[in-house]
Amino acid sequence: MNVFVARADHPIATQLISAAARISLFSFLIAFIVSNAAHAGTEAPTIRLFPTTVVEDLRQTSSVAKEMETGLQEVIGRLDQQQQLYQESKCDGAENDPGCQRLAKQLGATYLDMLAIMEERLPDMEHTVNNTRLSLEKRLRSELGNKMTSWTLQETLLGGNPRGEPKAAGPSLRGRSGMRLSERFKQYYQLVASSSSKTDQSLAVLASDIYLDMDETSALIARTREEIARATLIEQLNQSFGTITPEMMEVVGGVKSILFGDEGTQVQIAGPPPGSIEKAYRSPLEN
Amino acid sequence: MKTTTSPRFFRAAALLAATLALSACASQPPACGSPTTKNLNAAVDDVKSSLRGGCIAHFDRFYDDLLRIAEGDPKPGNKRVFSEFLVWSSDEGLLSQRQAKDYYNRYFNVKFMSLAGDYNNCSHTCPRRDRVLLEMERELGDKERGLLKVSLDNEGYYRADELFQEVELVLEATCTACQAGR
Repeated sequence: MNVFVARADHPIATQLISAAARISLFSFLIAFIVSNAAHAGTEAPTIRLFPTTVVEDLRQTSSVAKEMETGLQEVIGRLDQQQQLYQESKCDGAENDPGCQRLAKQLGATYLDMLAIMEERLPDMEHTVNNTRLSLEKRLRSELGNKMTSWTLQETLLGGNPRGEPKAAGPSLRGRSGMRLSERFKQYYQLVASSSSKTDQSLAVLASDIYLDMDETSALIARTREEIARATLIEQLNQSFGTITPEMMEVVGGVKSILFGDEGTQVQIAGPPPGSIEKAYRSPLEN
Repeated sequence: MKTTTSPRFFRAAALLAATLALSACASQPPACGSPTTKNLNAAVDDVKSSLRGGCIAHFDRFYDDLLRIAEGDPKPGNKRVFSEFLVWSSDEGLLSQRQAKDYYNRYFNVKFMSLAGDYNNCSHTCPRRDRVLLEMERELGDKERGLLKVSLDNEGYYRADELFQEVELVLEATCTACQAGR
């Protein structure tokens, strides 16, 4: 019986830490962009996707997520040590050994600690994530949905760069879960730092990206909260038996890969083939 | 003996001549054949000649022929050849100005003609988002041909590809937000 994971394909610890990490990173990125734009005094965007209220929501989400990350990181460190000890003691296949049973119970107790932290932090997290999601939803609906046609949206996305001149690296953030956290922070920092102008087109993409991610995260948190009570109960029962399952190892491994990264998961993006160096022709028919 | 030709005979002869003339026309329609040369400029001249000769109904095929010929000798200058050909077509009254723009921009511009629309995204684009994206995808195929294979404008094509992905993402978010507001 799988007693350490809520779902075999998606451990709740993994889900939650992934969600927390994403929220924290996005919030950091947005706060950085907006504060940079304010300090740099660059041209004012014509669409208002990130007013002060949204930035404040993001900051708060970031702070809650960071607290959760910190708390979980400590517990995960303990889980890691206990798992290592369990393996080094050659407890696999020796579950009836009293020493191994004691180790398994300790491991299970730490897992319960992790669930307790989640249970404690999740309501706050859910609240702030929903606030951010709703703020962004309102801005997207108003600025891109009601005030723009598909043609003006296209022109906004192209901005002043319709001819394909090299533009600042696009903030396409989705689908990067699993990358080493420090590396992700570094990449996002470089992304923002190298972007000399914060233009409407990048803000529109960024806002969409964050909103969709918040939408998924919100659903993920709701699902996780439903699972915690069940997982806690099962683990408490399991404490009576003192067994350790392969799934528990899997949870710890999954959590580690999210927090500390996987060396093999570098996202490689192919560059375009070398373009023509001739000056581009502009037809009188062009729109 | 004096022979007289009756007016009835003249009318019958005239009728016969007219019928023959008409049947001759019917048996020799304009050829409207595809250009056989591999030279783009010469092919454009051939096509212009055919269009002047009454082959306007074959415009799409001729345009496709010209693109195929240009793919055989891709270079940035081909864009100008197509643009001038379309401007000529518009000046000659074969195409409206709007049609000429559509023909050009669909193949040689980064912007997507599939995104043309006068109503807001929540009310107009979102309900038909899948269709819009499908049309964009098809247009991206045409841009690959025009920008990449005919004009060697790699940067233009990759920008169009990137724009397609951005529109996909932004529309997904915007339409989700629109839907939530109902």
